[in-house]
Amino acid sequence: MSSHDVRDMLDLPGTAGPRPAKKQKIAAPKSTLKGLAREVQSLAGDNPISIVPEISSFKKRRLASRKPAARWVLKPFKNPARGDDLVLAHWRRKAEAPPAPVGEDGNSEQVEAQPEPEIENSTFAKFNVKVDIPEYTDLQYSLKLEGEGWTKDETDYLMGLVKDFDLRWPLIWDRYDYEPLASGENGDSLVSVTQPRSMEDLKVRYYFIADQMLQLHTPLKDMRKTEHDLHEIFEKFDPNQEALRKKFAETALNRTKEEAREEESLLLELKRILARSEKLSEERKELYARLEAPPSNGNIGIYTSSQGLQQLLQQLMTLNNSKKRRSLMGAENMSPASGPSGLQQQGSFDRRDSTMRESISGPSGPSRKGTLQGPPERRELTKEEEKMYGVSQPTEKLSGPSFRADRLNKPITNKSATMQAKITNVLGELGVPSRLIMPTAAVGQEWESLLGNIQKLLELKKNAEKLDGEIAIAMTLKAEREKRERAARGEPDPEDDDHDVKRESDREKSVSRSVRGGSVSRSARGGSTRKRSASVLSAMSDKSTKRQKK
Amino acid sequence: MAAQPMTSSMQPTDVYGGDEVSAIILDPGYSSVRAGFAGEDTPKSFVNSHYGVSSSGGSYVFGDDTIHNPLANLDIRNPMSKEGVVEDWDAATKLWEYAITSRLTSFKQADPRTNGLNDDMKDADIEMEGVEEGEKPLEEHPLLMTETAWNNPKLREKSIEVAMESWGCPAFWLARNSVLASFGAGKATALVVDVGASTTSVICIHDGLILKKSVQKSPLAGNWLSSQLRSLFSTTDPKVELVPHFMIASKTPVDAGASAQATYRKFEDTPSASFRALEEERVLTEFKESVVQVWQDHRGLKAGTEYARQQPGRVFEMPDGSNQLWGVERYNVAEGMWDSSSALPVPNESAPSKGQTIPEMVKASLAGVDIDIRAHVLQNIVVTGGGTLVSGFTDRLHNELTAMYPGARIKIQAAGLTAERRFGSWIGGSILGSLGTFHQMWISKKEYEEFGTSIIEKRCK
Repeated sequence: MSSHDVRDMLDLPGTAGPRPAKKQKIAAPKSTLKGLAREVQSLAGDNPISIVPEISSFKKRRLASRKPAARWVLKPFKNPARGDDLVLAHWRRKAEAPPAPVGEDGNSEQVEAQPEPEIENSTFAKFNVKVDIPEYTDLQYSLKLEGEGWTKDETDYLMGLVKDFDLRWPLIWDRYDYEPLASGENGDSLVSVTQPRSMEDLKVRYYFIADQMLQLHTPLKDMRKTEHDLHEIFEKFDPNQEALRKKFAETALNRTKEEAREEESLLLELKRILARSEKLSEERKELYARLEAPPSNGNIGIYTSSQGLQQLLQQLMTLNNSKKRRSLMGAENMSPASGPSGLQQQGSFDRRDSTMRESISGPSGPSRKGTLQGPPERRELTKEEEKMYGVSQPTEKLSGPSFRADRLNKPITNKSATMQAKITNVLGELGVPSRLIMPTAAVGQEWESLLGNIQKLLELKKNAEKLDGEIAIAMTLKAEREKRERAARGEPDPEDDDHDVKRESDREKSVSRSVRGGSVSRSARGGSTRKRSASVLSAMSDKSTKRQKK
Repeated sequence: MAAQPMTSSMQPTDVYGGDEVSAIILDPGYSSVRAGFAGEDTPKSFVNSHYGVSSSGGSYVFGDDTIHNPLANLDIRNPMSKEGVVEDWDAATKLWEYAITSRLTSFKQADPRTNGLNDDMKDADIEMEGVEEGEKPLEEHPLLMTETAWNNPKLREKSIEVAMESWGCPAFWLARNSVLASFGAGKATALVVDVGASTTSVICIHDGLILKKSVQKSPLAGNWLSSQLRSLFSTTDPKVELVPHFMIASKTPVDAGASAQATYRKFEDTPSASFRALEEERVLTEFKESVVQVWQDHRGLKAGTEYARQQPGRVFEMPDGSNQLWGVERYNVAEGMWDSSSALPVPNESAPSKGQTIPEMVKASLAGVDIDIRAHVLQNIVVTGGGTLVSGFTDRLHNELTAMYPGARIKIQAAGLTAERRFGSWIGGSILGSLGTFHQMWISKKEYEEFGTSIIEKRCK
């Protein structure tokens, strides 16, 4: 698309003048782009190519950024987390000290030979974290911590292991190799456990001791929340349950392939059931929302039981029946086709909700979609509300598509040209523009009634004119006959001129819609001609009906 | 483009946690000794564990440059036992010292202004030599050494003694090689399947410490594969002669299956049998690398022999020029590691038991750990050691384990690079030794002097 096309679209004057100049401008930088194939450049067309080849100047950059090589020193350091003062050394960048004078060997040597004033500490010392293990005295042990099957020696051994392995129970249990006689040689006896203790035994013992020591330290009533939680954990440990759990886990691990497959299929089934129940509950929720307006995100717990469900079903059935009856009774209960503007907020909320649910539901989405995107929740509007929101429910079907704007003009445009002219004349007389400025529903209604009245008026006018014409003809005929009669009698004609004038004035009067009662007298007068009497009579009856209408 | 070198001030020490103190990692094994500086990705020094002893003078020669010379009176020995632990401490110390000093610390680069090399004065030179004589090789470097999980406490004490007394290390640490292998794979909790030269081991690691009850080892490793190969060579219909390279003077190409046409070298004094064994081992290693394959199906080779026969064979040319297409036989060699009944009979050696096969070892190892970590450990199976590089090893292991534990999730972590697989435990040591948080772990010389050798049992658990 060139700029010309754009200008054409925007109705801007086609400026042919500056274009060639522009082209030249574009062409100028084009030629400077180097390092690109001509074909690649031509791909971009009129527009200047956006890929700017990088200028590679390795040497220059290197030379520009050349700095003196960084100095590194082997710095000794120590780790305060260690008990001893082991000094290790690592390479560190030399601090940005004023550069030692280079050139004189002796000088720089002196700087280096200076002993480090202090050895820095390692930054990693803070990571040396140890677990707090309760400690007890002999007295405390004999008072509180005696346990059956445990000697103090073995307890000490356990506590030592716990401390060594930072409460990592698999390790403690693995390394637990207590020998009552303290024979020392445990190198060969990796597997020989004199008194096999299960991990649960060890845990029970440790938790007991930890709990006792905790209580000794802070009595139960003075415990803070964290301490109390800890105490509860210690107290609630159930070795039997733990052993059971482990047994179960072991059987789970040692399943055969068939069992594993079966379990997998069962799990799949469970997942399916869960998904279905979730779907059901969602639907239930929706139903609930539909029953209650405004929708509440209330608890649907009561409907999750089968009893509650039954109840809900019945409720729904009755509701459904009543609804059916109502819809048979009249069309006013039909839900509006387009979303009411007043309820848009709620509508958008619902939509978001549903999309959220779909995205969560994942692969089972499409199957759900059908059920979820059924009839959207809508509130029935009362008559007042409909009026307020301008909602209408067109009952008659329009043939084919049409513009709504046409409905305003149609009463005028589908008339003949003379009629149109007349209508516009009347409208002009009334001071109403032929095109509505603000066609709201109310205005449209008024407009329609006005147009109908105008039409009626024009029809009446037409009829009145026709009658006037016939009356005039009848009058002339009558006058001629009288003339003839008078001629036959030999009387002179006194009102010859008057008659013409009267006829003219009559016509004027009829145009100005002042029909007056004169016509009746005229018709009474002109009843003599038999030929025309019928038409006159009919015209008269027409007139009378008109008058009645008026 | 983006990988610009970071200046030291930008280096995220807190995240990466590295703080190198130029520690040396020494990872001795039955087939080779790996040594290098912590923080590097491969050991700088890789020395064959076999060393030569001249029977006349009793002097030791180390390294691949010297031990492969077909000398008349060169006896080849190995300081390690069949179990991968040190037998001959004297030789082992020398071998390790060679591994360290030949590549890492021998040439100490001192300041050229003071090292005396640029001085003309003769007496100064002599003085410097005297100083170096008395210097211990590792005085500036903390040493991190590896050991097997079944190492004897006495041997452990010996190793700290060597490091502290004869090498003068400022700090020392002894780590289990399986733990380091799991560190090398980035795991603190893992099941390490390590197939080395002398032993195959399966060990569970929890939080960086071995679980002793889970330690399983068997001799069905690289050397056992070699013995299987020898057995295979001796039982094939035209017997395959295993003649090492040093025996061949020249050879002419022959058709597959034809007998070799080569001229052999004559030695006035034939090299020792141990030398020949070493050289034969090199040929077998080549064979293992290029021909031997593990049958991948967990039902074993017996169930799939027909299918295995249809697989394309592999050709191997012996040093003497004879060559042969190896079909289903190449699967037979490693099958014994998985199915003890398929092992080829080896003279003078008892057949492997069922419990020595890898699947059974994994099973036994898992049975020795707490149930709660079994599933976790099965998701972190680290395969390391040069023996696992036999084609199809990890696939077979995975198939075996998924068949054995269909309910558990099996995930095998096997380094793709050959070097990372062979040097797995060294790399783990390199990582551990370069960590800033490891500084507090070292056993310092002071501590050693205070508590004696027993400190190793107390500290390195």
